[in-house]
Amino acid sequence: MIKLLGVVLILFAGTMLGFQQAAKYAERPRQLRQLAHALQRLETEIGYGHTPLPEALKRTAAASPEPISSMLLSAASGVEREEGLGFQESWKQAVLRHWSETSMRGSEQAALLRLGSTLGISDKEDQMKHLRLALLQLKAEEDAARDDQGRYEKMWKSLGILIAVLIVILMV
Amino acid sequence: MSAIFQIAGIGIIIAMIHSVLKQMGKEDMAHWVTVIGFVVVLFMVVRLLSELFQEIKTIFLFQ
Repeated sequence: MIKLLGVVLILFAGTMLGFQQAAKYAERPRQLRQLAHALQRLETEIGYGHTPLPEALKRTAAASPEPISSMLLSAASGVEREEGLGFQESWKQAVLRHWSETSMRGSEQAALLRLGSTLGISDKEDQMKHLRLALLQLKAEEDAARDDQGRYEKMWKSLGILIAVLIVILMV
Repeated sequence: MSAIFQIAGIGIIIAMIHSVLKQMGKEDMAHWVTVIGFVVVLFMVVRLLSELFQEIKTIFLFQ
């Protein structure tokens, strides 16, 4: 009886682990697209709205879904606080702090951090150019992520169950 | 009898994992999984064989 319970538990845990890994692969391209949308919006705010950077970040955050919106919000609030960090520092802190909530990887993070060091220190043409560069990089990453998703999502789904069954057979 | 079924089950599962990994283009990992499964089964067979040997010894040699 207790053996059966253990078998069920191991099977359940293995299946869930596989599905969780698969969900990570499914989530990454979606979040990359959302991030690209957010950057596009930021570009519009800077280029055509002439909005100050913290305000532009807040408006973009209001229009973005969750992990990205909190990242942008904390970048904006870092600039506006009393002691007033520079934008680059604030952006870096926000990205690093909220990165673990997203499913994205190191290459996107590098692109974002590079973008942070160029925003808010030059004229609008230059900033728009850098935003467009970051957008291009994100687009390339999204294509790669979609590729990965097609390849690894199914694999992890079946692999989790199979490994759980293997453990059960080995232990019975 | 149950050991035979256990080994058969391991074989089936390892074969499935191998095919899944191979399909997704991770051939090197698939081969490692197969090798590890083989080694595990080998250990089980060796244990069974040693039991058999012990039994034969007790039956024929030390009566």
